[in-house]
Amino acid sequence: MAEKQYFDPLWIEHGYGTRFQGFQNLMRRRIRDVLLVSSLYDLYLFEEDGRLYELIRNEYQGLHLSHSPELTRVSSGEEAIALAKEEKRFDLIITTLHIEDMTALKLARLTRSSGLNIPIVLLAYDNKELKDLITYHDTSVFDKIFIWQGDFRLIIGIIKHLEDKMNVEHDTMIAGVQSIIVIEDNIRYYSSFLPILYTEILNQSQRLISEGVNMTHRYLRMRARPKILLCTTYEEAWQYFERYEEYILGVISDIDFVREGQPDPRAGLTFAREVKARQSDIPILLQSTNAELEQMARSRGASFLLKESPTYLLELRQFMTQYFSFGDFVFRTPDGREVARATDLRSLERQLHFVPEESIRYHAERNHFSNWLKARTEFWLAHKLRPRKVSDYPSLAALREDLISSLREYRKLQQRGLITDFSKESFDPHTSFARIGGGSLGGKARGLGFVNILINNYNVRNKFAGVEIHVPPAVVLGTDVFDQFLEENNLRTFALSSTDDAEITRRFLQARSFPEGVLGDLAAFLDLIREPLAVRSSSLLEDSQYHPFAGVYETYMIPNNNPDPFQRLSELVSTVKRVYASAFYQSAKDYIKVTSYRLEEEKMAVIIQKMVGTPHGDRFYPDFSGVAKSYNFYPIAPQKQHDGIVLAALGLGKMVVDGGETVRFCPKYPTHLLQLFSPAEALANTQRDFFALDLSSQPIPFTETTDLLLKRYSLADAEADGTLQYVASTYVLEDDVLRDGISRGGVRVVTFAPILRNKIFPLPQILELLVDMGSWGMGTPVEIEFAVSMSVPEGQPKEFGLLQMRPLVLSREMEELNVDDEPREKILCASSQVLGHGIMKDIFDIVCVDPERFDRAKTRDVAMSVMKLNATLVAKGRPYLLIGFGRWGTLDPWLGIPVKWDQISGARAIVETGFKDQEVAPSQGSHFFQNITSFMVSYFTVNTKLPDGYIDWEWLQSQPATEELGVVRHLQFEKPLTVKINGHRNKGIILKPE
Amino acid sequence: MSSYVNSFMAHLKERNPHEPEFHQAVQEVVESLAVVLERYPEYRSNKILERMVEPERVIMFRVPWMDDQGEIHVNRGYRIEMNSAIGPYKGGLRFHPSVNLGILKFLAFEQVYKNSLTTLPMGGGKGGSDFDPKGKSDNEVMRFCQSFMTELFRHIGPDTDVPAGDIGVGGREIGYLFGQYKRLRNEFTGVLTGKGLNWGGSLIRPEATGYGAVYFAAEMLATRRETLEGKICLVSGSGNVAQYTVEKILQLGGKVVTMSDSNGYIYDEEGIDRKKLDFVMELKNVKRTRIKEYVEKYRNAVYTPLDSKMDSNPLWNHKAHCAFPCATQNEINAKDAQNLLRNGVYVVSEGANMPTTLEGVKLFLDAKILYAPGKAANAGGVATSGLEMAQNSMRLPWTREEVDQRLRMIMKNIHKTCVDVAERFGTPGNYVNGANIGGFLKVADAMMDQGLV
Repeated sequence: MAEKQYFDPLWIEHGYGTRFQGFQNLMRRRIRDVLLVSSLYDLYLFEEDGRLYELIRNEYQGLHLSHSPELTRVSSGEEAIALAKEEKRFDLIITTLHIEDMTALKLARLTRSSGLNIPIVLLAYDNKELKDLITYHDTSVFDKIFIWQGDFRLIIGIIKHLEDKMNVEHDTMIAGVQSIIVIEDNIRYYSSFLPILYTEILNQSQRLISEGVNMTHRYLRMRARPKILLCTTYEEAWQYFERYEEYILGVISDIDFVREGQPDPRAGLTFAREVKARQSDIPILLQSTNAELEQMARSRGASFLLKESPTYLLELRQFMTQYFSFGDFVFRTPDGREVARATDLRSLERQLHFVPEESIRYHAERNHFSNWLKARTEFWLAHKLRPRKVSDYPSLAALREDLISSLREYRKLQQRGLITDFSKESFDPHTSFARIGGGSLGGKARGLGFVNILINNYNVRNKFAGVEIHVPPAVVLGTDVFDQFLEENNLRTFALSSTDDAEITRRFLQARSFPEGVLGDLAAFLDLIREPLAVRSSSLLEDSQYHPFAGVYETYMIPNNNPDPFQRLSELVSTVKRVYASAFYQSAKDYIKVTSYRLEEEKMAVIIQKMVGTPHGDRFYPDFSGVAKSYNFYPIAPQKQHDGIVLAALGLGKMVVDGGETVRFCPKYPTHLLQLFSPAEALANTQRDFFALDLSSQPIPFTETTDLLLKRYSLADAEADGTLQYVASTYVLEDDVLRDGISRGGVRVVTFAPILRNKIFPLPQILELLVDMGSWGMGTPVEIEFAVSMSVPEGQPKEFGLLQMRPLVLSREMEELNVDDEPREKILCASSQVLGHGIMKDIFDIVCVDPERFDRAKTRDVAMSVMKLNATLVAKGRPYLLIGFGRWGTLDPWLGIPVKWDQISGARAIVETGFKDQEVAPSQGSHFFQNITSFMVSYFTVNTKLPDGYIDWEWLQSQPATEELGVVRHLQFEKPLTVKINGHRNKGIILKPE
Repeated sequence: MSSYVNSFMAHLKERNPHEPEFHQAVQEVVESLAVVLERYPEYRSNKILERMVEPERVIMFRVPWMDDQGEIHVNRGYRIEMNSAIGPYKGGLRFHPSVNLGILKFLAFEQVYKNSLTTLPMGGGKGGSDFDPKGKSDNEVMRFCQSFMTELFRHIGPDTDVPAGDIGVGGREIGYLFGQYKRLRNEFTGVLTGKGLNWGGSLIRPEATGYGAVYFAAEMLATRRETLEGKICLVSGSGNVAQYTVEKILQLGGKVVTMSDSNGYIYDEEGIDRKKLDFVMELKNVKRTRIKEYVEKYRNAVYTPLDSKMDSNPLWNHKAHCAFPCATQNEINAKDAQNLLRNGVYVVSEGANMPTTLEGVKLFLDAKILYAPGKAANAGGVATSGLEMAQNSMRLPWTREEVDQRLRMIMKNIHKTCVDVAERFGTPGNYVNGANIGGFLKVADAMMDQGLV
């Protein structure tokens, strides 16, 4: 998928489209692995304060830097070069003067001559020794020389310095990142000054960019902090200045350093003058050990700092705060009087309403607004404002208005597509997606957050006229809340060991303690959202790339309509507790057992999402919902597997997710509906009722583990609600015709014809785009859950809610396998509708439904029997082949055997075949298939009416059963069965034991 | 006689190789007609059978069409114009991948006798294509139908050949075919049946089969000077045929105590009255759920799930007077037949196609009860096609009552034919013989009358 398809050029131009990616691309070259070459003794000196590595790591964490570098120490030069050559992972070599087998200089030269292009830094600790070295030898082979003075942060300074040097070109060009030019030629001095400066900048930046965004975003923004360009000569500094002139945040310079090859005692003063002549608003700090130079510095418009001042650090900090705009925005009148003060974007916007016009003019003329924004890494807005001149505006009032609206718009844009930390002030009840509490967001929320970004960054939101595409506003409770809840109530041990779902639910609901701060936030959230809510699990393991815990945990819907806000909060909290409890239900435990995970590792985040839909009396539901997949396991010509498939149903998506009757269509060919090829098929294979949330119902009893508030309603109810018209056709018995729409009398049939054929809503187009975009963005086929509300007030856009996006698991290996040349008598089963690929020869057991005694009315009993046999076989570690009728895992017991995934978790191969009296469409639809494909279970759909659909029932029936439960037989063999599938051709066979 | 049949069949197979369906259909007919050919040698000397098995005309044609992606497909279209001795060719069009010449000839051959038995002036034919409407878009189906008719139109006409629907050809396809025919001919005529009510279709189509089966039963009872009034009836099935069978039984004063679907049946001793029938209709047509729900509403009724382990269907094991099997093939086996007889059932009228196994039929015939084979009892469906043609020719649509009245008359006529013929051939009361021979005689005589054509 070409990226450009989704980029709106206009948006890229305005920096928004790439905003997020831009930050990710910053600081691309990082130093992650450092090779430290030093004698043990040198190391001992470094480590007086404690383990160097630990110290550095702690410091990184303290500064909220993402990757702490790894340190590897060797004591000989030979070893160092060998290691660097062999492992190729080192980004930096730091060498001390004392190494076992050679001098540091020799090491550096050897390194260079052996073709290793790694920066080498000399770290000396003895000033005298260093002086000798520099005096008598050419040390230019070192990238830089530093001197150890007992502060381990020097290592961080060295690393950051080199990183800045490597990235400055790229980052300035891509995002306009700012730089500070530091000129200092004294090794001892910059060795102590650099760590201080970095710590200061990192801390400052940290504080500044903490507003209105989340942790991830903060990390990313840290990459956009100002860079420090350390120079030791005038020419070096001037070169930087000329190159990055527009992006220089300030200059901190010594006064006495080398210029034109000679020591120049006034070089700093000259530099300051030249810079001021070109860019008068660049702040400059000159420092010297000579206090007498202060007057001269000030006369050149620079600040002055005495190097030996007892309050050096404080003064440096003050300078940076004031001149590098690291502090508050202080509104002043031209005479310097302070009239207002803003700490962040929001308060800046607020203050702009009140401050006098002269103050606005004063700051605007001096680019103060854009400078201040730049320091906060708000480059996009800064660059937008900077070229605007006061004279461009008809009046100061207009300028004020423009500033305010730019800020407001920007803040809104910023929130879109990001997972912000929840705050009542900034949460927009229409668009926001925020988090409450720390920890992970879990798989589902991560997917949602990601798709939210895609939608907003690629301007999909309003791409279709009359439709608004969005991720419904939601808050996510981080996994920390889950941990805290379990700990505070001492529930973990009990929950891990209990096997009684009802008891777990009861104990969780009765748990007294719920994290205090979270309650406040939830109350604030409920104050903003008064519509029904969906409370969904988002666990760590759920929807992970290889094991989608699809449908393992519970989702609950609540009306959220009690007039008493306290009641609403208490219902919400109970529901969250229910979701927590479901992490420990038996089905979840069984499921985890067959994965490589441990239940203790599982943590649960919870998504609380405004439901998409409309109330109709006591019912609340979206007009329709569904699931779209980018990959179709059963394509029917002209569809291809990669054209994807959509399953849609009237009402809530439970109908789709649970495998009920739905309309299946390929977004690329929305008018080719297999299931509607004749009126009889349409009547038999379409939705008969729908799910909606019952707004009038009472809270669920403590012991109930499933969602009781969702109820089934008839199509007649939908017709009365006015929702059927969007999705229905009418069967006219007299004419034996299915006619689009409901204008004529007759039997209503949910066909989606008004949408798919008469195009009243661009559903196929939207889904094609989203599924394409999703699989492009995730780099893998995806599955999307959606809900649409057509019942909106006149003139408002229809609402397309994206409820979930997760990767769709497919098997990768696809070599050809011959499945054609087996003699018929050896074949137990053959089909040309098979999922999976490869050969299995380790199945010795068959669990099969007796075709003679099977009764379609008793599929529930069959499910129970299968479950029991499954339990026995799983306990014995015996994988088995499962054979039965109708759709496995269906919601409708008339269509097949209604097992849940955990009830057949031990099956390695599954066969589904039609009933004697009815061919059933294969069950590709459900959550079930996610599990089947991710656990690499082979799935045979056998249509015995096709020439290549075959099951040898006679043979099966003639084998003695080891155990029989009802109509379910368990057969056990001495020799293994052979399951052979060619995934390319969807063909497969199962051979009888030899 | 059997030597005649044998040599006839051998000859047939030689002339029509690779058409097993056709061979079998002819064999069955010829065997049932042995007695006729024995008694009336003129049929043999005039080679009536030999002429009947040779279609008057077979039209085979190319049907090219373009799918939504612009791909070109070529299907094969057929029209077998089998016999027009008693009226214009009449018979369905089938769109299904299994369609081939042999199958269509077999269907067309049977159609000749079915149509003849209705006593209406309809010859026999069949047609279709190996086109598979499954998975095709509406536009593709339309384009196919238009292409199909673009060739077929020159061979058919309201007085020549009047196709109807069959598998894969429902109201939608008839509409598209009709539209194209009308456009090509610039004529609005009754060239197809199964049309929409607004544009030439007939009322009572969905009801016809069920109503007809009941009318036929009423006629059979009338031979014993009885009526359906107060008769207890067992009805199987709950689809269209069963529903309208129940409706007509109720109208004629009978009492229905059972209905069923593929999972089980309900037994309502108090009888399924009009209100309850409406409930079943809502259940099966609108909600499209299981008959089982009947007992949730009407508590006195008993639901029994179907148990495939049992060698008989308990539905047929209740005290009753009449049975109307309206569900599926072979739903009455020998055991069921015995049960029916033991429970006092003496009227069996088949709404479904071949619901009784051969052993079952034999038991009924031996017991000399009033047994109407589907061939005769469910001819109401075919008959309404004829009624649609009649209305089209008159350019005057009839009311429901008029069509219903005509249907009743037709069933009465069919019944009379069966009774008369059975009696003529020495098996009075044997409706199976009556129906088999009756259909043949009318066509054969017409052919004799019209000379060697």
